[in-house]
Amino acid sequence: MNQLVKFGLILGVICLIATLVLAVTYEITKPKIDEQMRLEVQSALKRIMPDADSFDAKTLDDIEYFEARKGAELVGYCVKVTGFGYGGYIRMIVGMDRSGIIKGVRVLEHQETPGLGSKINETRPGEAEPYFLKQFKGKQARTVSVKKDIDAITGATISSRAVTDAISKTATEFFNKVKR
Amino acid sequence: MRGSLSELIKGLWRENPTFRMMLGLCPTLAVSTSVANGLGMGLAATFVLAGSSAMVSTVRGVIPEKVRIPCFIVIIATFVTITELLMKAYTPLLSRALGIYVPLIVVNCIVLGRAEAFASKKGVISSTIDAIGMGLGFTWALCFISAIREILGNGTILGLQISDRFEPPLFMILAPGALLTIGLLIGLINYLASKQKA
Amino acid sequence: MNLSAFIAIAISTIFINNFILSRFLGLCPFIGVSKRTGPAISMGLAVTFVTTTASILTWLIYDLVLIPFHLEYLRTISFILVIAFFVQFAEIVIQKNMPAIYKAFGIYLTLITTNCAVLGVAVLNTDMFFMKGKAVAGSFLLSVFQGFGAGVGFTLAMVLMSGIRERLEFAEIPACLKDAPITFIVASLMSLAFLGFSGFKI
Repeated sequence: MNQLVKFGLILGVICLIATLVLAVTYEITKPKIDEQMRLEVQSALKRIMPDADSFDAKTLDDIEYFEARKGAELVGYCVKVTGFGYGGYIRMIVGMDRSGIIKGVRVLEHQETPGLGSKINETRPGEAEPYFLKQFKGKQARTVSVKKDIDAITGATISSRAVTDAISKTATEFFNKVKR
Repeated sequence: MRGSLSELIKGLWRENPTFRMMLGLCPTLAVSTSVANGLGMGLAATFVLAGSSAMVSTVRGVIPEKVRIPCFIVIIATFVTITELLMKAYTPLLSRALGIYVPLIVVNCIVLGRAEAFASKKGVISSTIDAIGMGLGFTWALCFISAIREILGNGTILGLQISDRFEPPLFMILAPGALLTIGLLIGLINYLASKQKA
Repeated sequence: MNLSAFIAIAISTIFINNFILSRFLGLCPFIGVSKRTGPAISMGLAVTFVTTTASILTWLIYDLVLIPFHLEYLRTISFILVIAFFVQFAEIVIQKNMPAIYKAFGIYLTLITTNCAVLGVAVLNTDMFFMKGKAVAGSFLLSVFQGFGAGVGFTLAMVLMSGIRERLEFAEIPACLKDAPITFIVASLMSLAFLGFSGFKI
């Protein structure tokens, strides 16, 4: 019994030290991690809404979005969209003008199969934007759908559909709720 | 000095964790879709290996025999989490690309294997050197496999296109390609080893 | 939250994203214990038992301890400890009370702590069924189901492979390809076949 207590104590002490070390590391890296995420979102916002000069973060129920303004004028919305693909969540940000016409889509994070689903976010050599996402430009976000507006990627129909369906679903929900 | 040099290089070939001992294969196959990923994973694992081996060796006198494995696991998990946080902070893209395989370094048999077989018995310096050697052995093996898969499966190396003359077989970058590559490579190495002996 | 979500997870974890053949989790026992069908089934059962219970335990820890106290960064360390302790505990309990079951698969339990399939499914659950630090609807059941499905997928791959390897023993293969290399090559072909499932519409 005595031995058991001793073992427990030693293990407990090691766990305690480990937790302390990790807590310190976490506190040190946290600002940096948050900063990285903010930068990522900011650069995505600039890409999909090049004419806007300021973005205000807002939330509407569960939807996170940014109001894109040029000077004081509201030029559109950038909405965070999450789709469920093959390997897990696909997090995107979709830029739309006030009537819901898509200005641009950026994928922030995805876990699709490399070589198949990952093509949703792959850029052809010499081009600036992923060729799959480029198709969304100028389409109405609320009704966008595979086949009609968007050509699915060969071998990755499900990932393509996940992206498209998530955009149309979130956009519909968003425009139903947002104040005009 | 010569002793520590041989400890460093044994991991590179003679006791290479991937090709000779077949340890830590799960991450090897999973992340070897591109050289950049392979290199990142290899270096992350090397960091964990070196850190945890040094730590295990430092505390080896204090830890009773019976609870050593849980203690080692805690130490390894700590280093893995540090790596996870650092990667998220400084190399966010790589951390995304490697996904769940970063936390899974904890269960990489190479790390626990080195802690148990080497670091728990030897001094801090030689344990660290041994761990770095093993880590580098793992890293080059990963890069080698990734290079084969990236060249054949995607037609690129480190993201640069090699030639647009051929349509790369997608198969190589998907799961079956990984299994085939490792199977044939280990077969080839066995063959070379048997030749050497004869 | 409906039935189709469960069916999708079952098909995904067993076939499309099979833990061994597609995610490469749990390769060591796959290569090591797949020589005979008997042990392969036992190992599969042991893994299914542990992945399912580990999914329950780690989900509870994540949702009830780590998230409320903002300790998400302790995920790896707490999960591996819980899994290690649970496996030890299960081994002792089974050995004492159910010697028949222990004989069938208990000996494999010790090997399972460091099986990446177990920690893998636990981490995957928190990645997939938690969003913005909150559990999604039905998160707990989905996690447990995914844990179970992962085990079933593992067992399926093990059993198929052991059947093939029993026959392979009579085949004349080059000496350098014996054991592990040929197993990888066969696994590659199996994985290729499993890739066919990825056309499934769910």
